[in-house]
Amino acid sequence: MSQEINLRVWLKIPDAEAATVKNTLVRRMGFADLLADVKKERLFSIKVDSGDLQELAGAFARELVNENKESHKVLIDELKFEEGYVPVKVALKIEDGEAISTKERLRSRLGFKNVVDVKKAIIWKLYISGMDPELRAKEIAEGLLINPHKDTYEILGK
Amino acid sequence: MKIAVMQFPGTNCEHETLVAVKAVGMDGEIFRWNRSAGELSSFDGYFIPGGFSYQDRVRAGAIASKEPVLEALREEAARGKPIIGICNGFQILVEAGLLPGTGKIDMALAQNVMVSKGQIVRRGYYCDWINLRHEAPSRRCSGSFLIEKGALMRIPIAHGEGNLVTTTPGMMQKLNDEAQVVFRYCDKNGRVINEFPVNVNGSTESIAAICNPEGNVLGMMPHPERSFFAWQLPAFDPKKQRPDEPGPGRRVFESMKHYIEVSA
Repeated sequence: MSQEINLRVWLKIPDAEAATVKNTLVRRMGFADLLADVKKERLFSIKVDSGDLQELAGAFARELVNENKESHKVLIDELKFEEGYVPVKVALKIEDGEAISTKERLRSRLGFKNVVDVKKAIIWKLYISGMDPELRAKEIAEGLLINPHKDTYEILGK
Repeated sequence: MKIAVMQFPGTNCEHETLVAVKAVGMDGEIFRWNRSAGELSSFDGYFIPGGFSYQDRVRAGAIASKEPVLEALREEAARGKPIIGICNGFQILVEAGLLPGTGKIDMALAQNVMVSKGQIVRRGYYCDWINLRHEAPSRRCSGSFLIEKGALMRIPIAHGEGNLVTTTPGMMQKLNDEAQVVFRYCDKNGRVINEFPVNVNGSTESIAAICNPEGNVLGMMPHPERSFFAWQLPAFDPKKQRPDEPGPGRRVFESMKHYIEVSA
């Protein structure tokens, strides 16, 4: 039976893409009174069928995270986020070439034969005030964060 | 006859496009995204050139499509004025709902996925000289007004997200039935082969360019401004040795000019 290692990765420096998303939502899409902050993370969800999970998670982080510019957090078989933010997970609906390449490299070049699947996603963390932040997050996802012909999204629990 | 060549942060083909506009006898200027959108109404036609507007943040064309100038371009398109989006310009028009022209996002230009013999052989950014076949009847579309159906063009591409996909039921049928497919990728003999390297990016039905139902808005992934003069052609093309001759991309610019003349 496989288990999932979730590797959350974010920039230590300010994320320009998150700033652009916030700017567009506030200045162009009418969310000025609702949206206080936007953060972005990359998420690797790596399924393995054997091995010490903590040890593997550390090894994956060493390969996939550049500690000079990025921070990370490992979660085993769970996905949790900080209070206050609504996390929106955006993934490709079409084939994700980067996820496939990551899996191939982990298995064939780096010797992690116990890796059975790799999925990648972007997590947009939206700090939304007012009523029903999840509904607002849905509007933001469908209005800007995804193109429904190639992306899917999911509002995650905190 | 005055043309606005749109410029967003990250656009990188505006000067070549403006040179091409002027070389066919139109007047034009580069129009920055942060100018008053209302000024756009004084122009007769519009180019949205290629590049990487807003560094392709979120996805190609997504941020630029929310700018006020796009709302102004939507109004000008409704008045029948021609708009040609090249590469990133095509991506912006799709994200703005101006193409395929239903007013909402009805397709995506997704990441390139090159397929050959059932196998994925390559992904992502790709640049090369490719061949196009003109699929629409002449006079159907502002950017190919003077090009005969079936005509072939050698022209360069350079993009990472040109793979046209749609989940809208019946959309492909509609595009074909209403002659909204303007160009397809083909080989040098004009054969459409739906796999790499002829289909350079995995685009559905090898589509390289589409227009809106009215024909005045065109989006194309290849770059006509980069094959406007014969001297821009690749070294292996014998026409390169005749630098005074026009390149194949010139017909796109001449088409817009003629379209404006007959629409006046």
